[in-house]
Amino acid sequence: MDLQNMNPSSLKSRFATRFLRALTKINAQKPISSSSSREIFQRYRRIKVAADKSMAYSVRSRRSWSRATLWRLRTRSPRSRLATLARRSSVKTRTTRAASHGATVVDRKSHGKENKEDGGVEAEELRELVPGGEAMDLCNLLDETAHYIKCLTTQVQVMRTIANLYSLH
Amino acid sequence: MLHRLESLKSCTYDRMDMTVLERQAARLKWQQQNHVVQNNNPAELCASSVPRFQGLVGSNLGSGQMVELKRLEVFLGTDNFQEFLNFPVTGPEFGDSEKLDLLPPEAAADYCISRTSSCQITALDTAVMKEEREDMSLEKMESTIVSGRGSFNKRKAETVADHKSKDKRIKGEGEGESEVKTKCSTEISRNSSKENSKVSEVQKPDYIHVRARRGQATDSHSLAERARREKLSKKMKCLQDLVPGCNKITGKAGMLDEIINYVQSLQRQVEFLSMKIAALNSSVENLPMKEFPAIVANFPAAAKLPEMAGLPCFQLNPLQKESVNCMLNESMHPPQTEGIASASVSISEQSLSSSSMTQLQPFSTWNMDPQGLYNMYNMGFH
Repeated sequence: MDLQNMNPSSLKSRFATRFLRALTKINAQKPISSSSSREIFQRYRRIKVAADKSMAYSVRSRRSWSRATLWRLRTRSPRSRLATLARRSSVKTRTTRAASHGATVVDRKSHGKENKEDGGVEAEELRELVPGGEAMDLCNLLDETAHYIKCLTTQVQVMRTIANLYSLH
Repeated sequence: MLHRLESLKSCTYDRMDMTVLERQAARLKWQQQNHVVQNNNPAELCASSVPRFQGLVGSNLGSGQMVELKRLEVFLGTDNFQEFLNFPVTGPEFGDSEKLDLLPPEAAADYCISRTSSCQITALDTAVMKEEREDMSLEKMESTIVSGRGSFNKRKAETVADHKSKDKRIKGEGEGESEVKTKCSTEISRNSSKENSKVSEVQKPDYIHVRARRGQATDSHSLAERARREKLSKKMKCLQDLVPGCNKITGKAGMLDEIINYVQSLQRQVEFLSMKIAALNSSVENLPMKEFPAIVANFPAAAKLPEMAGLPCFQLNPLQKESVNCMLNESMHPPQTEGIASASVSISEQSLSSSSMTQLQPFSTWNMDPQGLYNMYNMGFH
């Protein structure tokens, strides 16, 4: 394994640097002494958000799904009034679908979109999985899915390495 | 008679200078001149000319060639293309038959005239003349065929645009129509079929050029539909390469199902790993963060698993186990694909329960590569 041969600007390295930076920030923010389940759960949430954010930032705005993820992350944060205003003025369906990702699973098949019938029920499910997939036709959806799968695999690889490194120390 | 002889003399042209056409023109002129005289005594002409002719026959010239020559010239003189077309092109055919067909009396005058004019022809010249004649015949045939095919093309061009399967039909008809298969006719038919087989010949460069196959509809809607379908199938093939274990699955619905499952499993893996990092973060305080990026980025995914297997795994204290459990239960949305949820929960529970007993087992379970985990929960799901 040659350490010097890796491409410094590849997706993997970009994501790794960003994610580690976010991790250190999270570590610095909260005191690590308290390790209640609640705390750990909150930490897990933050880490997950950081992972998605750093992945979307690594891809920038080149892909539709990364743009949708960034937009979603920005409008989800309740910190500023601007964010809430943005959320209110945005398309309600999109935020509600994003927020209630798991809750409306039962009704998934009942209110399938009529205007995007070209993929059938499976395309509907795929659209819900891939961020920003609701407004895409099947052709673009498949493109986005392929890139999204590639990025997810990189994300999983890097996070696993980090977890292993954590466990070593 | 004297008059005729004089005209004959005038007719004796130098064979080196004049071509067949010129000779023909001269002959026609001579015929016109002698039309009045012709009917007077054709028999006499024949009678006088026969011994000469027989002498000629006995010469080195192939009798068949001579006869062929004369007949051709007669036909050309009369401008009769119908007989001309039926006339066989192959010379040697004629050469085999030694029979001389004496023409009927009405053409006797022409026959005699042509014979007399050709009496000065030597063997060498007949060969040249034969080639020239063949060329001329080819030209004549070209002109007839082209003229005929021009109308044929015009007629066909209208109907070909509608029916696509006429590629071969045009060729077949073209070959059947002209009995004489010359190079030019086949070339013409090939060109016309080439023109007509292209579906959309557009001059603008930003159009997509598509060639319709035989037996397929050619209107723009179906073409666009077909192009779209081919694009989709290409993308599905790319996705098949990305998603493991879907080589056997054919069909859009099955493939989409596999893709959906794989994306869901990857997303869940991200959640697991973030949970793990969160749990570990709480236990581990100081980490050498500076060297991390380089190490993390350069870790190849496949190589690290056998390395890690030998290393000691992490120990989750009971509190962490609890937290991980509740995290799992919370993140695992029960209404969503329950089979997968139960399978993954069972996997994690197994790992947690056995972590106190063995060191390597939970580690290996947690560190299963995406393909292994995916296959495991697939087995649990089906």
